[in-house]
Amino acid sequence: MNLNLLLFGVYPYIAGTIFLVGSIIRYDREQYGWTSYSSQLLASRHYMMWASNLWHVGILMLFAGHFVGLLTPAFEWLGFNPIQHQWVASSAGITFGILAMIGGLMLLLRRMLNPQVRAAGRKSDLFILLWLIVTLLLGLVTQATTVPDLIAGNVANMEVLGGYLKGIATFQPHPAMLAGIPLIYKVHMFFGMTMFLLFPFTRLVHIWTVPFNYLIRPYEVVRAKQRSI
Amino acid sequence: MSHFMDRLKFFTTKREPFSGGHGVLIEDDRKWEDGYRNRWRFDKIVRSTHGVNCTGSCSWKIYVKNGLVAFETQQTDYPRTRPDLPNHEPRGCQRGASYSWYLYSPHRIKYPMIRSRLLEIYRTERASGKDPVEAWAAIQQDAEKRRRYTAVRGLGGFVRTEWEEVTEIIAAANIHTIKAHGPDRIAGFSPIPAMSMISYAAGARYLDLIGGVPLSFYDWYCDLPPSSPQVWGEQTDVPESADWYNSTYIIVAGTNLPMTRTPDAHFYSEVRYKGTKVVAVAPDYAEYVKFADLWMPARAGTDAALFMAMGHVVLKEFYVDRPEPYFLDYARRFTDLPMQVLLRKVGKQTYVSDRFLRASDFAGELGQENNPEWKTVVYDSRSGGFVCPNGSIGFRWGEHGKWNLLPRDAASAQEIEAELSCAGHHDATAEVLFPHFATGEKDMLSRLVPVRKLKLANGEEALVASTLDLLIAQYGVDRGLGGDNVASSYEDAEVPYTPAWQEGITGVPRADVLRTAREFADNAAKTHGKSMVIVGAGTNHWYHNDMNYRSIINLVHLCGCVGQSGGGWAHYVGQEALRPQAGWVPITFALDWYRPARQMAGTSFFYLHTDQWRYERVDADDLLTSTAKGKYRGHSLVDYNVVAERMGWLPSAPHFNRNPLDLYEEAAKAGKRSEGEVGAYVAEQLKSGALQFASEDPDNPVNWPRNLFVWRGNLIGTSAKGHEYFLKHLLGAQNGVFGDGQEGRASREIKWRDKAPIGKLDLMVDINFRLNSTGAYSDIILPTATWYEKNDLNTTDMHPFIHPLGEAVNPGWESRSDWQIFKTIAQAFSVLAEKHLGTRTDLLATPLMHDTPAELGQATEIRDWKRGECEPIPGKTMPHIKLVVRDYDNTYRKFTALGPKLLELGNGIKGDQWDTRAEYESLVELNGPVKEEGISKGMPSLGEDIAVCNAILALSPETNGEVAHKAWKSVEHESGLSLTHLCDDRRGDKFTFADLQVQPRKVITSPTWSGIMSEEVSYNAAYVNIHEAIPHRTLTGRGHFYVDHEWMLDFGEGFCAYRPPLDMKATKGVSPAILKEPHLVLNWLTPHSKWGIHSTYNDNLRMLNLFRGGPVVWIAEEDARTIGLHDNDWVEAINVNGATMARAVLSQRVPRGVAIMYHAQEKTINVPGSPTTGKRGGILNSVTKVVVKPTHMIGGYAQLSYGMNYYGPVGSQRDEHVIIRRIPDQQIDWLERPLTPEREAALNPPGVY
Repeated sequence: MNLNLLLFGVYPYIAGTIFLVGSIIRYDREQYGWTSYSSQLLASRHYMMWASNLWHVGILMLFAGHFVGLLTPAFEWLGFNPIQHQWVASSAGITFGILAMIGGLMLLLRRMLNPQVRAAGRKSDLFILLWLIVTLLLGLVTQATTVPDLIAGNVANMEVLGGYLKGIATFQPHPAMLAGIPLIYKVHMFFGMTMFLLFPFTRLVHIWTVPFNYLIRPYEVVRAKQRSI
Repeated sequence: MSHFMDRLKFFTTKREPFSGGHGVLIEDDRKWEDGYRNRWRFDKIVRSTHGVNCTGSCSWKIYVKNGLVAFETQQTDYPRTRPDLPNHEPRGCQRGASYSWYLYSPHRIKYPMIRSRLLEIYRTERASGKDPVEAWAAIQQDAEKRRRYTAVRGLGGFVRTEWEEVTEIIAAANIHTIKAHGPDRIAGFSPIPAMSMISYAAGARYLDLIGGVPLSFYDWYCDLPPSSPQVWGEQTDVPESADWYNSTYIIVAGTNLPMTRTPDAHFYSEVRYKGTKVVAVAPDYAEYVKFADLWMPARAGTDAALFMAMGHVVLKEFYVDRPEPYFLDYARRFTDLPMQVLLRKVGKQTYVSDRFLRASDFAGELGQENNPEWKTVVYDSRSGGFVCPNGSIGFRWGEHGKWNLLPRDAASAQEIEAELSCAGHHDATAEVLFPHFATGEKDMLSRLVPVRKLKLANGEEALVASTLDLLIAQYGVDRGLGGDNVASSYEDAEVPYTPAWQEGITGVPRADVLRTAREFADNAAKTHGKSMVIVGAGTNHWYHNDMNYRSIINLVHLCGCVGQSGGGWAHYVGQEALRPQAGWVPITFALDWYRPARQMAGTSFFYLHTDQWRYERVDADDLLTSTAKGKYRGHSLVDYNVVAERMGWLPSAPHFNRNPLDLYEEAAKAGKRSEGEVGAYVAEQLKSGALQFASEDPDNPVNWPRNLFVWRGNLIGTSAKGHEYFLKHLLGAQNGVFGDGQEGRASREIKWRDKAPIGKLDLMVDINFRLNSTGAYSDIILPTATWYEKNDLNTTDMHPFIHPLGEAVNPGWESRSDWQIFKTIAQAFSVLAEKHLGTRTDLLATPLMHDTPAELGQATEIRDWKRGECEPIPGKTMPHIKLVVRDYDNTYRKFTALGPKLLELGNGIKGDQWDTRAEYESLVELNGPVKEEGISKGMPSLGEDIAVCNAILALSPETNGEVAHKAWKSVEHESGLSLTHLCDDRRGDKFTFADLQVQPRKVITSPTWSGIMSEEVSYNAAYVNIHEAIPHRTLTGRGHFYVDHEWMLDFGEGFCAYRPPLDMKATKGVSPAILKEPHLVLNWLTPHSKWGIHSTYNDNLRMLNLFRGGPVVWIAEEDARTIGLHDNDWVEAINVNGATMARAVLSQRVPRGVAIMYHAQEKTINVPGSPTTGKRGGILNSVTKVVVKPTHMIGGYAQLSYGMNYYGPVGSQRDEHVIIRRIPDQQIDWLERPLTPEREAALNPPGVY
């Protein structure tokens, strides 16, 4: 088995499995540890408002962009041609990537310099933040390298990557497709996949339980008495 | 089953909307709630409480979970009070609620620890073949070996050791000391026993079995108000907190009720809802001021001026202008105001008040043959002549039936009406001089007094005046006799004691004082005494505390409040009520085996042996009045202590410059064997000078104390007033003393030694559950059980209940309860004693004790045998000389069994005696007999803590109704009154330890106390004196306005007078380099703290989190501004006594001119080095020094007689001033460096040798 196959044919499934199974096990076993470990209370409100919102908006939009742009045929349905698709993807990616990067760096600075946050935080908080920022940086670099291609009307990479990802998602992996993809993309992809692998072991699990129901639930929620109690 | 799967049950999940969709009922999993439930689940609850120094006496539930103490909450099952009164519970505060932290904290002492250098030397000696005692002797005889471990006290270096080895070392040290120096060189210090009496008893019992010396503490803390013995002959007796609720007018002066009496403060708040007015006197905006209707911000230390002015108003309006019948009747029957006082001529036409007139002054002695010189005299307005009324102390001893307060002439048994004032029928008016001390005013105030003329037995013509007539004159009240110094009006600021005069001293508006005085008295007149003054450390911790207090006591006496429910004087600082005292005393002081016990006055001991007397800057002559007889003029303060010891007024351990065991043998060799012969031998030796009191040469190694045990307390870190002197002279450790100590040369009674001793103690042992400063400076630390790990008893005067400490979990790690620790030491001691000591006769010199016939010492004149004015007669003009035969090898057997003296001699307290055979025999059944062969076989066992508790409960009138009955019978016999009705309803009650574990029990009325336990009234001091006519244990048998002992008069305190704070001169002699920089000179106040009970809790993480987490000193913002000081800056407080570091808290709450450092912040948490001493920061007492007061040393004179923790010099510390300066953060040095030989050698601050 060559390295390409290992990293882009097998590793995605390992990471994905750990991501899903790990999350479920943690959810079942460690309810008290299922938290975002928020440090919002420890810092200045103003700073945190900018840092946290920039970061979260940026990251969420990037996630959505990756998902919609690479895994769904949404752009085709909307009648975009691949060039147009790439333009939208790149400009959105760079915009939100920069927003997230600003927010992320602000959070990183705070986490390293604020003595309270440093004392209260766990090592994994710092590690996962660094990991995400590196992944993000690599993503931004890929977009920067794409610009000349884009101007030249070359969108092959995007199509290859989209195809590759769809293959992974449909359990028909074609790691060989990536032969012509520049290294920087591959590194970005490795970091991205590893992020899923790390996910169940970090504060990122809070993503699973964003309390969307708060938006729609009735004012008064009453829990029934249960026999076991 | 699975949280994840549960989330997927979309179709089976029940969701029932209600209220039109605004609400919904769901069936989510609720197992997560168990986490919170388990946090508060537990395996069992055990009743316990907090065992040292806190008078709260709050019963707590201790929750045990998985074998560990998890948390504690308040018990709420106290017996109810009566329906119209709030209950005492829930009791507890933030401090107690944080206690469980200690059990598993880093402070916990887990194993026996010893200074590694000492252990090395000891093991080397032992390895060379010496037995333990020889090994210890070898160490002590080699100065360098001794120095190696004593010089590093306080610098760490502890290692773990084993119980067996460490108790062997302690026993060896004790035995060596007994052999080489005498048992009276082994001392022990432990604070207020009431909160864990068995623990206190353990150490004291061991010490008294071997002849060691328990030191008093209440006087040393300056919590003892000497005014109370002076006025009532009572150590301290105060209302329970519930009685505040019965008051209708309350003044609080210097006791921070919500802060230091937290569980009781609710009564203070609740009584306001009843409409009671509350007036607060405090220099700062203290917590208790918030409750008040009126705040009188009197300057610190000036309370006496304020209360004297109130007394002035009351005397004028309620005695002179419109006499109030209730007050006059009360004064006539229960105070010395009608007693006649002789006047002594001091000028051509001027007099001063002298002693009380006595029956012995009359030809025919007014019909009194027994003790006529101890019976005071009144003028009977019915028969129109002088009579000797019942109740004075002369009736207490040598006869029965007339020691009562019934208004009768003792000779004829006719009813009398004592005349309060002869004004109107006086024979003459005399010009009497009254001593006065206010700064910048005349030192003698001449005033006119109506007097009677009288021919004395010796033929002299004398002038006498009633105490009231003298008092009215002294207060400057105008009664139309004219003369100087009489107030023309309240606005007369020139005449002392008017409201206008006090304004200049206290800063309190005269109108406030006038109105408060009127309201206070008016309320008392209408309610028959329901006006109360609550006082405490803020008024009592001053050098002239007795004047502060007596000004207040005068007010409550004048208003007839003392002994009345809801009224009187309520003193709350360090006061205790060890309710079952009568059963506790014989066990604690080993009186079941040996009588008498050896005891010592703490303040005298520490003043002498920490060599603070060498640095005495206060001149005793400055304190004398100009009309003093002044027999001891020229003597320094310490000389008065020496004089008092040799006259038998104060105790004197170490007694003599001779080992008492050897001294007896010398006497025996000279053929003197009986107690009387040996006493005469000792008197002769003293007279010839062949034998000296140890206090005459305290710096001679022969007279040093050698071993010191501290248990249940923190002597060095909390209560060492003059902390740095302790370190320097007693311990020989690194210290911050700046003074050169040459002042002591002025002493006339003490042999001066140029070289001051460094490190008097051979061994200091600390027994504790946490490592505090005392442990840090000790040589050995023994791990004791915490308050949740032992069985003990706990009482307070704040409520009438007794309840236990309980062993919720076994003592942690290798710790043991105090009783078991001393039992172990006693065992090790017995083993070694067999070879080294055997049976020896110990010679004790004990003082003329209060509540014994010896309190009738010298009645009318002081004669000092050393000055050739009389013969030294043991028990009369010098201490008693008593012999005790100690079989040292039986120490362990005696420790663990209740001894036979209780069978032979019975039991008793405060002069009352009763037979206690039945209780003794019941204890053989209850505790089981000792089974081991030997001297104690068949006696009730005291092997286990619970057995000791049961013995105390069985022997005490408060906890055994039958004993109460016997005790009251005894008082009936003395007084001729009918009294058993006070306890008859509870005659069948008997408590055991198991009963108390079920619920706190209300104790039974007993003659140990002056209040009663009743369902009708709350406990209040002096209740039986006023309502049952039992005399106070004073000279006149009544409450005293006038104290007529020669020394009292010499020092100007016959009557209460305002005395300003003493100039301690401690900021003089601070280096000029420091005085050049910006600094403040502030009065150093050390009130009690919110986050600790003394040093306890202050060092626990929970309390540290609540306020700044380290030592702080509070300073006024305005003061701080003048030296550019900001909040939280480091400051150094310095004076000639030493220096201490703290962070500044700047507050508007604090008045200018004072620095408040709350008691007690130690040097163990977050304390850097002091830049000036170069030593670790210091503690709040690093800048204080005790100054003793001669009037507290008086003895053998009715109420002014010694009793441990009853009377004696007190260790005041509030008059002190310090220099405060800012220390920039960059100069803070945490001294975290290894110990180098240079540092080890530098014991003193730089530049001090």
